[in-house]
Amino acid sequence: MTSPDSVLAAVARVRRRLTFVLLARVVLQSVGLGLGAWLLSNMILSERLAAGVSPLVMAVGTLCLAVISAGVLARRCGFVSALRAALWIEEHHESGYALVTWVEQSQHADPPTARLAQVVEQASRASLARAHHILPSFARSQIAGPLLFSAGASVLMWFAIRGTTFSALDGLVVTVGPAARDARRPTPVGAWDVRVTPPAYTGLPTVRLGNVASVRALSGSRLDVVGRDAIPDSVRVRVLADSASDNRALPLTATGSGWQGTISATAAPLELRVWRDRFARLLLVEGTADSIPRVSLIAPARDSVLRSAEGMVLLEASVHDDLGLARASFEVVISSGDGERFTVRAVQAGARSLDGARDGVLRTTLDLRALQLHPGDVVHLRAIARDAHPAADREAGTSDTRSIRIARQSEYDSLAVEPAPPPEVDQSLLSQRMLLMLTERLVQRRSRLTSSAVNVESSRLARDQARLRQAVGDAVFQRLTGEASGEHAHFAGDGHDHGIESMGGKLALTGTNVQGVLAEGDDAPVVAINKPLLEAYNAMWDAGRALEQSEPHAAIPFMRQALEAIERARAASRLYLRGRPPVVIIDLAKVRMTGKDVGAPGVRAVRAPLPVPAIAREARLLSAAALTTTNSAAARDSLAVLRLESLKDAPAFAEALSAVLDAFARGAGADVTAPFLRARRALGGVARVPSVAWSRGSPP
Amino acid sequence: MSAMTRHEPFIFATAQYDSGDWDSAPMVAANVVDAIARYTTIPVVPQGVVVPLASEAAFQYPLLFFTGHLPVRFSQREASVLRRYLQRGGLLFVDDHNHDVDGAFHKTVREEIARVAGKLAPLPNSHPLYRAFFVFDRGPPTTSHEMNGWGDNLVHEQLDAVLQDGRITVLYSSKDYSSEWSYHPDNKRFLAVDNTKFAVNVVVYALTR
Repeated sequence: MTSPDSVLAAVARVRRRLTFVLLARVVLQSVGLGLGAWLLSNMILSERLAAGVSPLVMAVGTLCLAVISAGVLARRCGFVSALRAALWIEEHHESGYALVTWVEQSQHADPPTARLAQVVEQASRASLARAHHILPSFARSQIAGPLLFSAGASVLMWFAIRGTTFSALDGLVVTVGPAARDARRPTPVGAWDVRVTPPAYTGLPTVRLGNVASVRALSGSRLDVVGRDAIPDSVRVRVLADSASDNRALPLTATGSGWQGTISATAAPLELRVWRDRFARLLLVEGTADSIPRVSLIAPARDSVLRSAEGMVLLEASVHDDLGLARASFEVVISSGDGERFTVRAVQAGARSLDGARDGVLRTTLDLRALQLHPGDVVHLRAIARDAHPAADREAGTSDTRSIRIARQSEYDSLAVEPAPPPEVDQSLLSQRMLLMLTERLVQRRSRLTSSAVNVESSRLARDQARLRQAVGDAVFQRLTGEASGEHAHFAGDGHDHGIESMGGKLALTGTNVQGVLAEGDDAPVVAINKPLLEAYNAMWDAGRALEQSEPHAAIPFMRQALEAIERARAASRLYLRGRPPVVIIDLAKVRMTGKDVGAPGVRAVRAPLPVPAIAREARLLSAAALTTTNSAAARDSLAVLRLESLKDAPAFAEALSAVLDAFARGAGADVTAPFLRARRALGGVARVPSVAWSRGSPP
Repeated sequence: MSAMTRHEPFIFATAQYDSGDWDSAPMVAANVVDAIARYTTIPVVPQGVVVPLASEAAFQYPLLFFTGHLPVRFSQREASVLRRYLQRGGLLFVDDHNHDVDGAFHKTVREEIARVAGKLAPLPNSHPLYRAFFVFDRGPPTTSHEMNGWGDNLVHEQLDAVLQDGRITVLYSSKDYSSEWSYHPDNKRFLAVDNTKFAVNVVVYALTR
């Protein structure tokens, strides 16, 4: 380097080496950025987006990104000119800017003077030597970082493509999976076939449901999920109704053409999440309980109090079960005694086997005399049905309980005890109305009938009226005396005072009981209910007499009076089967804090606030709604899980979600807005009512 | 219970049910009210009420007293109301007026409770119930009816209960407090030891847990 030309050539060599270093740095940085972007896209992008992008597109995208990065970086670094190289040399070894001046002058083609050439040559000799010395270390410092960056990205990509996972890279590298040996595209779980085998006791056959996403199965059923593609990575089972339960793995078995997993349906809903690669597919299992038999007691229709333990009682019940009934019977429990001494015995009646029938009728008769009942005994009746469920603690279906009580003799002296609501009065009411109608019709037809025909028909009505009068009389005397009939001799002063007396065929209250109220110590009970019955009895007497005299028109006012009196008696009927307990009102001011003992209340426990699942559910509902437009499959899965979780404690919301899922099932074009709104209203407990025609306001 | 959240006075309620003899111990209410007034400053209504178990009016009362001698069978309506009552924080205090573990009431009402609320289990005598106001170190106080040989001729060492989240929802007694407490409160002056103090614990527990 002894001439000015050789100085310029040396600067040019430095310039070329600097350019190479910078270009190498840009290239390495671009490669690293491209590979890094590819890895990040694998980790961050959603499964659907990643699945929809082919490896070629990914490669082209990566390359484009690298080229663009290179362009940007190269632009940022700028072109390395001879002047810039000279400056770089001067930067590392001061030469009084002689080298820069020489390069600049040579670029302007000004002929240098000899003296100037000599000065430049002397001044730049040391600088050029220094530049050649530091260039290798400069190149290493510039290239090392980008080289490590790009090399690291390349290694990670290699691991990702090979499907090998190092523990140190877990979470950073998303494993593509052994199924994707082409190292390009993960494979989602394919179609499966779901087979449901109900519990053996039901006798129901196995059902093949095919490639379904949700199953409704009887609790205890066996579910076989059979796949025809490669075995999934894992299957996790979660009980949706139990937040405490964690995921558990479901073991899978490889079959000749695919795989199979088996699970039992439980009363609580289950979620099976089948994983392969990044993809999960849901199978929701809604377990339904085998309902206990439904039993309705038809006869006896109501509780009764009987005067004596005689006769046959018809027992009838209907039974129903969703799967099949095993057996049914009547349970008869008889309690005897009073006060502190009670004995109880139980018998079974009308037992029969139903042999798996879903509906049945249970019918038998109960002989009260055979039960050897005594006054005061209570017979409790109910029907019981069992289904074929084999569990030892299986609950039986039971009907309501009816009780039949045998009245004590003493009760008639203190209480208005009726052998059930009085049937005699009701029968009389109907018959009296019929008799009145027949009599009115006879009066209307009288002008068209002969006198003898009127007499015959009027006499027949008189006999019917007499029978009714006798029935009412029996009811009156049963209430008063317990005797079967009131139409035996009763008269004042006969020593057989029932509180009423017979006067000319009619009945009247005795002088001591004209108010119809039982005086204390009086053993002739007359209650207010008897007054209208007596009035009806007497009106019937007058009506019957008019009919016997072939004067039906004269009988009508009495018949109407009798009918009205019976209605009053019916309305007045009240049953007081138990005594009124004594009323004790504590004088708090007198008693307050007079106790000798002193207690201390314990620390008051603060109850944890009740969970508000509706809030979380609303958030999930809104999230699913937002997801509808971008990923309807995910939205549908979320809603299906939410529905199952809500079945138990929010059935209305679950039902509304079913409507949303139905709308999804109608296809991509279906509008799900309205079902979503209804579901949200159901969650909030908001009930919309349609506005009525006369309303001018807006509906609430 | 809404009655208590409004700071209204405590009302002792006796459950009325369709089957059996719900009103076999009519003086218990007055005696419990008397005991509450005698030993505590809890505002209390001077007279008990009877509330049908088939009515949602039961939700107004934090404690329901339930007794009888005869077989108990809840109607569907009664079972539904009782189930919701217990879920909402109510306490059902069931006492076997027969004090007989072979008796019809004992057998049937335990079946019904198991159907509605869950199985009854022995309540440890160290339970906070026995320290809720007065301290009963040896568990539930013995009744004279246990001692005199009636019923099952047993002195029951423990009460039974159904717990929900650590809180008693159903308290079951075979000790016959129905007979023990069924006397006019004025007659307490003849007793050396007031035998209704345990009722205060039950009421305080129902109000504070």
